[in-house]
Amino acid sequence: MTSRTLRRSLLATAVLLATLPGVSMARCDNLSNAKPGQINIVGNVFPALTHIAKEMESCTRGGLKVQYKLVPSPQNDTETRQAFGSSGKSAFDAAVVSMGTFTTLQSAGQLQSMTDLVNKYKGKYKIEDNMLVKVNGEVMAIAFMQNAQNLFYRKDLFDKHGIKVPATYADMMAAAKTLKEKEPGIEFPIAQTFAKGWDSATEFTNIFAGYGGRFFKAGSAAPDFNSDAGVKALETMKAMTAYMTPNYLASGSDDVMNQYQQGKAAMGVLWASRASRMDDAAASKIVGKMEFTAAPAVIAGGKSATHLWWDGVVMPKNLGGDRETVFQVLMEALDEETTAKGNDLTIWVRSSYKPTRFGSGVAASAKAGAPQWPSEPYFSLAHGEIGKIIPDVMTGAMTPKAALDAAAVAYAKAAAEKGFLK
Amino acid sequence: MLLLLALPLAVTFYLSVRSCALQMEVVTVTESSPFGTKEVVTQRAVMGPDGRALSVCRFVGLEYFRKVLGLDVGDGDQAGSAAPPDASGAGAAPAAASPQRATEFMGALRFTLLYTFATTPFVLLLGFALALGVNQVGQRWRPMYISASLLPFIITPVVGALAIKWLFRDNGLVPYFLSQFGISLFWMAQAWSARLLIILYGIWHVVPFAFIVFYAGLQSVPQDSLEAARIDGANAWQRLLYVTLPHLAPLFVFVTLIHLMDAYRVFEPVMVLTQGAFTTSVQYLTYYILLQENNPYKASAAAVLTTAGIAVLLIPLLMRTWKEQRRGG
Repeated sequence: MTSRTLRRSLLATAVLLATLPGVSMARCDNLSNAKPGQINIVGNVFPALTHIAKEMESCTRGGLKVQYKLVPSPQNDTETRQAFGSSGKSAFDAAVVSMGTFTTLQSAGQLQSMTDLVNKYKGKYKIEDNMLVKVNGEVMAIAFMQNAQNLFYRKDLFDKHGIKVPATYADMMAAAKTLKEKEPGIEFPIAQTFAKGWDSATEFTNIFAGYGGRFFKAGSAAPDFNSDAGVKALETMKAMTAYMTPNYLASGSDDVMNQYQQGKAAMGVLWASRASRMDDAAASKIVGKMEFTAAPAVIAGGKSATHLWWDGVVMPKNLGGDRETVFQVLMEALDEETTAKGNDLTIWVRSSYKPTRFGSGVAASAKAGAPQWPSEPYFSLAHGEIGKIIPDVMTGAMTPKAALDAAAVAYAKAAAEKGFLK
Repeated sequence: MLLLLALPLAVTFYLSVRSCALQMEVVTVTESSPFGTKEVVTQRAVMGPDGRALSVCRFVGLEYFRKVLGLDVGDGDQAGSAAPPDASGAGAAPAAASPQRATEFMGALRFTLLYTFATTPFVLLLGFALALGVNQVGQRWRPMYISASLLPFIITPVVGALAIKWLFRDNGLVPYFLSQFGISLFWMAQAWSARLLIILYGIWHVVPFAFIVFYAGLQSVPQDSLEAARIDGANAWQRLLYVTLPHLAPLFVFVTLIHLMDAYRVFEPVMVLTQGAFTTSVQYLTYYILLQENNPYKASAAAVLTTAGIAVLLIPLLMRTWKEQRRGG
């Protein structure tokens, strides 16, 4: 044995010994009909998923090895699609996916149904009905966490100036005006992810839905987002920019979170998964001051202008491993113990999840009527085209109507290329 | 060697003239999720007999090239277009639409060329100045200076771009520093500053490469020529101009060649610093088509156009190098 392989095996043993004490309950000890081999899973990288990855990999015992590949978005989407779409066996036996990736995989018929496995192991792993993502009755994914963009607001500043929690975007802009005039140090009260591309297109989607807009004509993939609702949505977004930092066209989630943490912005609609970072003493100057609630509506009395997302696990049709073993490993890692250990990391779907203050915005938005993120496979094309024209509308280079019409034509061409439109 | 080069190019070109699409059918499905159940009209791929989606591939020729370049004005604007008939410019909608597409690629090309030609002279100048400076430093401190100078080039581009973004965004060091002088500048808010930011990043990132090449070149300047020049009464500036620079001329061409190729493919700063606002580059367009539109065929067309662009850029330099080789060899 060369010194390098000796070192490697010593390292492997050390790692194995180090991880063993961490497994309080012996995970994967009593799997039924488990076949030995290697199980590969791919997924995005953020705290909740790294937690699940550890749980999945702790199933490595006996002849079974579980490997979770952490790939940041959007590469994980590409790798998953490539693996599940290959003509041979998939490189990954399962994937942790967001709704968007699920829609693409499902519409291409690349996922296998897990209905029989769910029925078999429902009791053992306490799989809740809520967790099942079904298409025409067949279970195609098991969801374990939810996310949404909800309202973040500085309760201390609102109380100080007697401002009520905004129920509509108009309220939010009025509150921003008050804070801008009366609170020194808050020059740009609103911070929201208006970065060109995905972020701003998502903002448009949220506000457009709030106006009751419909992206496509009923029953077809023909675009309908260049309607009055679309123009109104863009005008609302443009009105908001008056209260945002002029760098908004490059403001992604990271930058918005930073603006909140530094106490430079006082309100805005941001991902609930970022909420716990507001109380991160190492980076935040406003620990304990930020509160969360439902995203505002755009019409008085209307539904909350945001969308609900879930993340879940899926298995491909071209699975190379043993499907029962893979399923059991997935369910072991998504059991109540994982939820309990990582309770504060995200908003879990399981009923045993104890909602924290950070997750209250998602629950409130759901209660206020926020719909689920669109699930048509051609939606991402429209989303992409809209993201391209938003900067021109925000800077006044194009009128909202002309920009939306241009996006509609571009989308129609892209949809025709992919076979959604004849 | 030719095979290694030609094969990927050939494959990319082959992909760019084809298009494969799944055959889609409209279906009504009942979807349930943690958020409830609803009936949705959507589209799903038609399955073949082997249980996999049916893929229809066809030869499309130059169609994707025309699309990327925005030359498909008026093609199929009627099919699928949903511009509702309205009084204020029903006819104007298709006309306004296509200039949008045409300018996207031309805008990307314009910025890419601006970035390439704006960074090159500064990279050469600053790299050479740095090499001269480090060459003057005593032997003991030289390794430290060299390592420090190489840092911007060694850092992973994405990490470097992120670090620069954190310097320039709201609450960053640079805006804070500028505000001490009463200058309030939002770097990503308008075209000129966003472009300047990316150009500055480019210069910062590539100067070390020019530096190390010129520094190595300076070590090989023939000492006796320098001595002879000094004896003849040439001052430092004249020695630089008449002995050092001519000796380093091939290195200048080399650095320019490499930098032109690299700068034309600028991507990381665009993605990280501005996400394409005001500063879309040709490579960024290809990436966007590949990842967002999920269309590797159209992306291949964009990639072929990018490669053709680089080739056009390099022709003058390559011709000059070839002429020199023929003269010298």
